[in-house]
Amino acid sequence: MSEVWAFSESVGVANETVSAAKEAAVACSGQAVVVEVGRVRSSVSSPGKKLVLLGPGLTDESPEMAAEALYLAAKEAKPAVIFVGATRNGKEVASRLAVKLGNGCLPDLSKVSADREMLVGERSEYAGKVMTKLSCPFPCVAAIKVGAYPAFSGSGGVVLEKEVGTVARSSKIVALTKKEASTVDLRAAKVIVSAGRGVKKKEDLEMVGALAKALGGALGCSRPLASDLGWLPEECHIGLTGVNVKPELYLAVGISGQLQHVAGIKDSKLIAAINTDKDAPIFQAADYGIVGDLYQVVPAIQKVLTSRHR
Amino acid sequence: MRFAVCVKHAVDESELKIDSSGKPQLEGALARMGTFDKNAVEEALRLRTALGGEVVAITVGKAEARKSLKEALAMGADRGVHVLADPGTLDPSRTSELLAAAITRTGPFDLVICSEGSSDTYTGLVPPMLAERLGIPYIGYVRKLEVAAQTVRAERSLEESLESVESSLPSAVSVVSEINEPRYPTLIQIMQASKKPVEELTRQQLGVGDVQASVRIVSMTAQAMNRKRVVFEGSPDEAASKLVDAFASEGVIPK
Repeated sequence: MSEVWAFSESVGVANETVSAAKEAAVACSGQAVVVEVGRVRSSVSSPGKKLVLLGPGLTDESPEMAAEALYLAAKEAKPAVIFVGATRNGKEVASRLAVKLGNGCLPDLSKVSADREMLVGERSEYAGKVMTKLSCPFPCVAAIKVGAYPAFSGSGGVVLEKEVGTVARSSKIVALTKKEASTVDLRAAKVIVSAGRGVKKKEDLEMVGALAKALGGALGCSRPLASDLGWLPEECHIGLTGVNVKPELYLAVGISGQLQHVAGIKDSKLIAAINTDKDAPIFQAADYGIVGDLYQVVPAIQKVLTSRHR
Repeated sequence: MRFAVCVKHAVDESELKIDSSGKPQLEGALARMGTFDKNAVEEALRLRTALGGEVVAITVGKAEARKSLKEALAMGADRGVHVLADPGTLDPSRTSELLAAAITRTGPFDLVICSEGSSDTYTGLVPPMLAERLGIPYIGYVRKLEVAAQTVRAERSLEESLESVESSLPSAVSVVSEINEPRYPTLIQIMQASKKPVEELTRQQLGVGDVQASVRIVSMTAQAMNRKRVVFEGSPDEAASKLVDAFASEGVIPK
């Protein structure tokens, strides 16, 4: 029976990737195997077999090393598919691994299926305008979009250790700084209130942040506020190149709704928007909208919420 | 120093039309240099200003892709390399193979710069694949870049952390858009770009085999935006009240 591997250096993403691997394994009558590099993490659930790759100095914090270790193990075990969680490091692992193995690589899949010969996956392209279905014959590598699959939970199964020998590394990490906020916070948030260019001053973000708090949610922003103005850390940037979110409620405050922003929010259950421009594209992407000045509307919403809580 | 910067002739996603059967009209769609590729070109130009040398813009694509090379040349790249290939025959693996061959042929380069992904399909696979094929160190998702005589030091923007990484030259990097603000070429620069040399190369000239891409497109369908699109009227207070009512009845906030 062919194996379907799942790997991610991030615990949360690893459990999501296991769910995708399980689904594909059922479809191709294979067996899902969790693969860990350089360490065993009990927090990474396993539906059955867990394979732990070990070597001197081997660590999954280096995508280069992880890719080489996975390659050395895959060369022997010949899994049908190696699923890698599509974090930024994970994409490097998947790319390198595909080249080393001479196999195709499917990027950022949000849904997978398989038959006995190939893997089929869906991904969002053209800033969310198009859903593209791709196929790749076995053996192949596939990156699973972060947040696309629910985390697998379950324990037990066998843990097999495998020595892969010495793996080289050509770049070294000289310093590591934890980011102020974590993208995980936004991904997990049930409610997100997000600020855009309609907010005129950095100080005014407090007002938007207060609304987020009153709604029991987190504060996010569109790209310019993080990347160009630096008012909020890059981790708060929601969109194609930032965090992709799917809260119960997404409230866009003073965001025009460029395609690349909408690409990051389109899976939200409910989208609402406040904008002065009635023709702003965000209203096309929203369930509910208010055409108006956010400096009047945000305090008004705040007032309604306060009065109802009494 | 010699800098190679990879750019893609990418369909402008905001101009992409969907036909009545729900299929995107990619044939004949407006295309230009990928949005994020401009940051890669800008970074190469910035490094050339600081360290001297040459910036070579490289693309893989059909004849029209020359337009994107011209955009890079107008921004200030010294010359272009155009690997002729039909995008329909490519996947990230094949593209990286052609890029690697073109870089090897027109090299040596001290630094290969890519963007984090193309603005159309945004796979982000080509840069690390390229580095793997070239057998040089790779630093992805760079938001700050310092290049010295023999080393590159970069700050990577990851999900949870900022990581400072060092490697030796030659290296390859991918940059995120927050790294810089791309310049706009002047009219004169745009006109002068046509006079800059562009070398055309074919797969055969590069000695790359005629292998079919393993990744195939099965189908492409427009993603429907099924939203209610209800706009609440009235004074800010009235509209706010209606909005909060809607949130409560949708069950996204407590009633």
